[in-house]
Amino acid sequence: MFFTLNEIVQWIGLTVFEIWINLITITIFSILLALKIDGVVNSAWWTIFAPLFVSDAMNAYFCCIVCIRMNLENSYKASLYRASWSAIFLGLTFVFKFLLCRKLQGDSAIEYSEVFAPLFILLQLIAVRACQLHQ
Amino acid sequence: MAILHRALFTWFIFLVFLILLCLRLESRTHWNWFIVFIPMWVYDSILLIYVLFHMVSHCRNGIERFRGTINKNVWYIAAIGLKMAAQIIICIKLEYTKVEIPINVVMTPIWMLLPVLCIEVFMHLIKHSSGSSRY
Repeated sequence: MFFTLNEIVQWIGLTVFEIWINLITITIFSILLALKIDGVVNSAWWTIFAPLFVSDAMNAYFCCIVCIRMNLENSYKASLYRASWSAIFLGLTFVFKFLLCRKLQGDSAIEYSEVFAPLFILLQLIAVRACQLHQ
Repeated sequence: MAILHRALFTWFIFLVFLILLCLRLESRTHWNWFIVFIPMWVYDSILLIYVLFHMVSHCRNGIERFRGTINKNVWYIAAIGLKMAAQIIICIKLEYTKVEIPINVVMTPIWMLLPVLCIEVFMHLIKHSSGSSRY
C-alpha cells in the first residue's frame, strides 16, 4: 500500500515476527475489550491488557535471543544498536500500556497527556529513524 | 514519493492525531469526535488517491501486469475502506451516546481487518523465512 512490509521493518525497527506477534495479541485484546465494554466479562483492566503485556514479554525474549545470536556471529556493533532500540521501543510501549491500564482501573489520577508521554517520546525517536531512511 | 517523505508524512499525521486525542480525552476541548479524527480522514484520503493512482498507472502497462496487481489493489482499497468504516462507527459511538450501537457492530470492521493482516504478515514470514538479513 503506502509502505511495503520491508519498508516498515526498516523504519520502525521491528522484525516481521514481532509485528506478527503484535497483530495477533491486538486481535485478542480487541475481543477482550469488546467483552469488557459489553459487560460480558467483569474482569479487571489488567486481565484485558494481559495479551499486550504477554506480547511485550515474548518480543523481549525474542530480542534477547537475536542479540545473543548476533553476538555469536561477531556483529557486536549491530547487536548493540539493535538491542538498545528494541529496549527503548519495548520499554516505552510497555510504560504507555501500564499507565493506561492504571488510569482505566482508577488506581492513579494522572492525566491522559502523562499517559501518552511515552508515545510522544517514541514518536520523536521514530522521526529520527525516518530521517535516516534512504532508498 | 520517496520512503522518507512517506514516513515523515505518516509520522506527522499520527503526531497531530495523538495531540488532538489527548486534548479531547482530557476534556480541554469539547470538539466533535469527527474533528478529532481529521488527521485520519486526511491520511485515508491520501492513501486512497495513492492506491488509485497506482491502479491507473498499472492499467497503462497492459492487461497481463494489470491482472497481476488488480487483486492486490482491490485488497488495499478494501483495507482502507474497513479502516474508515471502523473510524466512522467509533466516532458515531463516542459522539452520539444516545444512539445505542452494539459493541459487536463497532468492532466488526476491526475484526475483519486484523485477522487478514495477521495472515498476510504470516505468509510474508513463511515466504521470506530463509532470507539473508534476518535481524
